[in-house]
Amino acid sequence: MRPLLRLGVAASLAVSAISHAYLYIHGYQHIPVIGTAFLTQASLSFSLALLIAIGGPGWLQWAGAAVAGGALVAFVLSRTVGLFGFSEQVWEPSPYAAISVGAEALTVLLWAGAFLSPLGWRLAELRH
Amino acid sequence: MTDPDTMTRRQLIRHSAWFGAAVGLAVAGGEVISHVAGTAAAERAHVRPTLRFAQLSDSHIGFTGAPNPDVTGTFGRAIDRVNNLGYTPDFVIHTGDLTHLATPDQFDQVKQMLSTLRTPHVFAVPGEHDSVDDAGQKYRSVFGAGTRGDGWYSFDVAGVHVIALVNTLNLKKLGHLGVDQLDFVHKDVARLSSDTPVIVFSHIPLFAMYPDWGWGTDDAAQVLSYLSRFSSVTCLNGHVHQLFTKTEGNVTFYSGTTTAYPLPRPGDAPAPKPVTLPAGKLRDALGIREVNYTRGRSALALKESTLQ
Repeated sequence: MRPLLRLGVAASLAVSAISHAYLYIHGYQHIPVIGTAFLTQASLSFSLALLIAIGGPGWLQWAGAAVAGGALVAFVLSRTVGLFGFSEQVWEPSPYAAISVGAEALTVLLWAGAFLSPLGWRLAELRH
Repeated sequence: MTDPDTMTRRQLIRHSAWFGAAVGLAVAGGEVISHVAGTAAAERAHVRPTLRFAQLSDSHIGFTGAPNPDVTGTFGRAIDRVNNLGYTPDFVIHTGDLTHLATPDQFDQVKQMLSTLRTPHVFAVPGEHDSVDDAGQKYRSVFGAGTRGDGWYSFDVAGVHVIALVNTLNLKKLGHLGVDQLDFVHKDVARLSSDTPVIVFSHIPLFAMYPDWGWGTDDAAQVLSYLSRFSSVTCLNGHVHQLFTKTEGNVTFYSGTTTAYPLPRPGDAPAPKPVTLPAGKLRDALGIREVNYTRGRSALALKESTLQ
């Protein structure tokens, strides 16, 4: 993976982690299940961001994309059918919801660009 | 010849080391965040909260059935929990369905049990089970002292404005407040400054938790519009027998659990009928709630405890 892409994944994971950690400290710790989920998301994302930044193996980025993708799914659930008895309006709390979603979407996009595109090219080559 | 797709022992060790580092860092990061959150909480705890109260809900005294053969026992346990919090709550609120069928005996029993709470004040709002045959007259004869209209009221405590609403009379499908009560709230909050924290109690949720089951209030938008200028509004309700949190702008809604029996999650059953849990699991589904407010903080801190 190119260094810039790798650093982009690491930075976007770190931003999502900071956003979740901030919300955890400022109130979300009191919400059953959701509080623990925020703490887990933040600590995992911090850990992966650091290891990816210092040049860890490719599977760390797959793990980072999985954590970011999972957070995006949880975001959608919490804005639609609810998640573990928790529900919020679309972009609240502002601006943290938007920052988190933007960072997580970037993580998934960069990961897809780095790992899935080459895979697609190789498959296309094989078909030829 | 070595298969190029096979991992060598050295590679395995290297990947294991990265995995270990990821786990170790995640645990360490979690510890740091928890510590920071704990320190923030400890700082708040160091200064005694401005207001501390407990919420009980849906005791359904008089209910008999497999979901809970002893609602009196579980309500008594909830009261014991409140009496052993380690501090005296400024007040205790019961958010409705004190009784199951609103008989004089049931009201008498629940009143006696509530009188054993070690707190200066006990407040209540009625549930639909407290007004099954008389539009809440028996309820008001027991719990209506000092209330307005059909039992609504407000008061100020420790700089917080508390409003207790009645949305269980004139029920069609959803909860309903009515013109008189809306007018009361409109006038009641007009004198308050916008930085006054507001707490609203009601039995049925003031948000649309699950309208198909009547879990909402048809004219709640009107009352919430009167509260939109306040920086912190916290709405606590019962009725749904389960924890649920929703934020809408400046308003946070918290549905509370019950001391009697659980109801299904929204849409998980054809109707919101009492659920019979496996033996030994009931008390995990029942509980009480503590609420703390510290002056200068925008959000209230809630703590849920089961009756286990």
